[in-house]
Amino acid sequence: MNARQILIRDLLVLFGLAGWAVALPGFASEFVTSMALTCLMYVALSSSWAMFCGTTRYLSLATSAFFGIGAYTSALSLEHMPWAQAVMLGALIAAAVAIVMGAAVLHLRGTYFAVLTFGMTELIRHAISYFEKSVTGTVGRVLMVVPEASTVYYTVLLLAVLAVALSIVVRRTRFGLAMLGIGADEQRAQTLGVNTRIIKIAGFALTAAVAGAVGAAMSVRWTYIDPHTVFNPFIGFQTVLIALIGGAMTLWGPLIAAIVFSVLAETLRLQVPQIYMMSLGLLLILSVLYLPGGLASVRADTFRGWGRDLRAWWADLRDELSGEKRRREAREKQLRERRHGY
Amino acid sequence: MVNTNRRVMIQRTAATVGALSVAPQLLAQSAPVRLGYSMSRTGPWTGGAQTSQEPNYLLWAEQQNAAGGLDVKGVRRRIELISSDDRSDVETVVRTYQKLMGSDKVDLVLPPWGSNANFATAPLANRFGYPFLAPTALSRRLIEMKLPYFFSLLQQPKPMCDAVVDMLKANGVKTVACIYVDDLFGLENYAALKVALQGTGIQLVEDKSYPGGVKDLSPTLRSIKDKNPDAFVGFTYPPDTILASRQAKEIGFNPKFFYASVGTAFPLYKNVITAAGAEGVLGMGSWNSKTSAGAKAYFDAHVASQKKEPDRWASGACWAGLEILTSAVKAQGLDRKAIRDYVAGTTHKTILGDIRFEGSENVGTPGSVGQWQNGEFEVVWPAKIATARLNPNKPAWK
Amino acid sequence: MSFSSWIELIASGLITGGIYALVALGLNLQYGLMRILNIAHGEFLMVGAFITWMVQTSFGLSPLWMIPVSFALLMAIGVAVHWLCFRRLTATSPNLDVFEARGLMVAFGLMFLVQNAISWIWGGDLRGYDFLTQPVAIPLPGGQAQFAVNKLLVFALALLFAGGLIALLRMTLLGKGVRALMQSPVGAQLVGIDTRRLHPLMFGIGLGLSGVAGCLLSMAYTISPSMGEPYTVTALIVITLGGFGSMGGALAGGLLLGVIEALGMHFTNPSLKALLSYVVFIGVLLLRPEGLFARKTRKA
Repeated sequence: MNARQILIRDLLVLFGLAGWAVALPGFASEFVTSMALTCLMYVALSSSWAMFCGTTRYLSLATSAFFGIGAYTSALSLEHMPWAQAVMLGALIAAAVAIVMGAAVLHLRGTYFAVLTFGMTELIRHAISYFEKSVTGTVGRVLMVVPEASTVYYTVLLLAVLAVALSIVVRRTRFGLAMLGIGADEQRAQTLGVNTRIIKIAGFALTAAVAGAVGAAMSVRWTYIDPHTVFNPFIGFQTVLIALIGGAMTLWGPLIAAIVFSVLAETLRLQVPQIYMMSLGLLLILSVLYLPGGLASVRADTFRGWGRDLRAWWADLRDELSGEKRRREAREKQLRERRHGY
Repeated sequence: MVNTNRRVMIQRTAATVGALSVAPQLLAQSAPVRLGYSMSRTGPWTGGAQTSQEPNYLLWAEQQNAAGGLDVKGVRRRIELISSDDRSDVETVVRTYQKLMGSDKVDLVLPPWGSNANFATAPLANRFGYPFLAPTALSRRLIEMKLPYFFSLLQQPKPMCDAVVDMLKANGVKTVACIYVDDLFGLENYAALKVALQGTGIQLVEDKSYPGGVKDLSPTLRSIKDKNPDAFVGFTYPPDTILASRQAKEIGFNPKFFYASVGTAFPLYKNVITAAGAEGVLGMGSWNSKTSAGAKAYFDAHVASQKKEPDRWASGACWAGLEILTSAVKAQGLDRKAIRDYVAGTTHKTILGDIRFEGSENVGTPGSVGQWQNGEFEVVWPAKIATARLNPNKPAWK
Repeated sequence: MSFSSWIELIASGLITGGIYALVALGLNLQYGLMRILNIAHGEFLMVGAFITWMVQTSFGLSPLWMIPVSFALLMAIGVAVHWLCFRRLTATSPNLDVFEARGLMVAFGLMFLVQNAISWIWGGDLRGYDFLTQPVAIPLPGGQAQFAVNKLLVFALALLFAGGLIALLRMTLLGKGVRALMQSPVGAQLVGIDTRRLHPLMFGIGLGLSGVAGCLLSMAYTISPSMGEPYTVTALIVITLGGFGSMGGALAGGLLLGVIEALGMHFTNPSLKALLSYVVFIGVLLLRPEGLFARKTRKA
């Protein structure tokens, strides 16, 4: 299939899924719609995260910060402006903060960057807490003006579709290729003329905009928001987890993983909730160790590779236990000494 | 021949009619009353939820089922509790209640723990028309939302702070220092304290806020100690209450009145600080087993069934709420609107005394202060519900 | 403010800082040597605290006995964790950046796993016990200061362990090997230092230290399954201040952070304490990424 056909295929799949999701509230109960809403939220968050962080390999833990900024924006502005504008304002302010943050920290790599984004999230959280407490004398906001639940659902659905569509489009443009280049070897990309700084900040801002919009939309569900709930680092962690397990460099990986995890969360939560979290952790460890490309990179060959690894490990263990390994090493050593005399 | 046949037929018809008239009741007896709720069994809210709320729900269901079931307008029906863990996550709470009220269509719901969760679910319950009697939702804002189906059982910050200030004033206190936790609870109580102190002549010599989960309060406590106030008021959560108590002991800060709001009423406090160490410490508490015969029966049943003591504040309110629900269902059946009207319009007799609602607020239970005396958390203010006399001189920390 | 109040304030800051330093040392060892940023460090601290509490309440055994026990137990766990999780990463990662990123993610997973395993076993309630909480008056220049015995004990033991680790690294052959590996992994292997033995051992010692820190902390504070995360974050801040890989820097950084926090809390507001810590953290990371105390030998 050539590039154009792949593009059409991707878009068709997206529209198919979107159509199904649009029809969902019509035939499913409020509870299932609610579950779908959380699923869509993580689709939006992890797809946009993977679009930037998967390609450029800059692991950002700042999703919670942008989510919280969006939530606070909508809490403060819903009384003064209509719904759509409040959500867009949330996205804009989050993007603005991302630009500032990015300009300051995007020259550091790897763990420094991850740790720094985490620190910045906590900084923003404490700063807003302190500001609210001292200046406005309150902590947390009550949302009095709340739109219908279906409005929230369709907004988040739209955001999810937008995030995936953005991923589909961006990876075919020069911008997307530039990000991939940065991820592969940043210095080489620079020598080839890519303005890495601008590209990184733009990508970071895009991710933040989606996260901010999602935060603005979701905050109305909780009626009362406070810094502790909306800047909860777990939102950021779960986004990263889902994107990584799904396959941060792939297009459909985060989406698949988001769906799998939402279903898993609901079923496990009702039975044994701690097991859900433990299995999340275990799955992450296993996927990083044995499936670094994520769920979406699973092919027939992957299983064959595992089979080979397993058999090799078993053979090695058997050899070691039976002493064969020692004998083999002694033989090789003898051979080496005879040949080279040392 | 014909006569015998007719007699048999009449007998059979009578038997069938008789059976049919009794059968619905038999069938109704076997259909349980389904009550749904979500409770924190993991996450940061677990401590409070598993001390003050869930044990009461379980005990109540156990007691009612042992008596044959919940009395629904004269018919006893078994209670079936449908519960799940909400992992201390607001989104999960919302989703659970949507499922319970929207899809599962349970008969009644019981509220979750804490102000945050209640903020999220009270409007939901209101929309679905399910009465919500919340024992652990503490915020003026919730009352101000004026939701007809929402009832808050716990005393609001204003009456609690008024009670503290009245008590301090009656005992000749001139200066007080205050620390409060950095969230809605701390802020509302601090604001209420300041309002209550106006015009009393008591001076607030220090007021510092701190973030929840702080590891070291000794710098703040040391500076408070330097100012030597007569009374110390802390609007703190259980971990901070224990921390403040320990560090006050460490630096030798021993004012005549040491008040730490939440956590002092928990049996956990006595276990960690030891009964001797807790002597004289004041806190938010509104009952113990001496309050009434019903309270003692409840206390003993709680210990026997749940293998732990109830706390001396929210647990009592929770049980009172369940008592109200029981009498409402007995009088009005499972018609939720009728239950709501009954709860709103009647004065209820509970283990805490009379409870009456104005809007969402419980105006029947007065603000109160408790104090640890000889290993028991006694109610020492106001006099009309006190179970022991206030000890106005806290002994040194042990 | 009187002189003795100053001393008291700084002393209480130092005591808190001592604990920070102990927690940070373990993390530093793991990152400096193996470039594994173990953000599950705080969870293992919590494990140490819980087993101490459990032994104390079930058997009445003094927590002092649990110090060596928790060290040994967590060291064993550390070796096992390294063998199970991180060894494969070393083999399969194409370069250091990828290895660090993957190591971070594995640590993430461990964090979820350990925290929820403990929560499952013991429940989410707050626990605590009373141990040596009597205050004792210490004569200081300028007056007297009062501290609880358990706090002083914790401080003394924290310094002891920190000093012990630094001594181990500087004076023993094993320590020399570790420092060599930190300086240049390839070079060290060329001269015959066995990475395969040293890495798990050092990872284990790192976790053992956090277990000891947990045991010490349980004496003075209440414990719960979620207590670990703030300590991980503080440890991160400390090793950033002190410089990644520098043991003396971690010790100095920990003590410094404790004093900064105490002074900050006293003069401003305890609510600002967290804000202050993060501002310091980000400031150091941006302006001097190699740490305040490290010499400019390692590039970020």
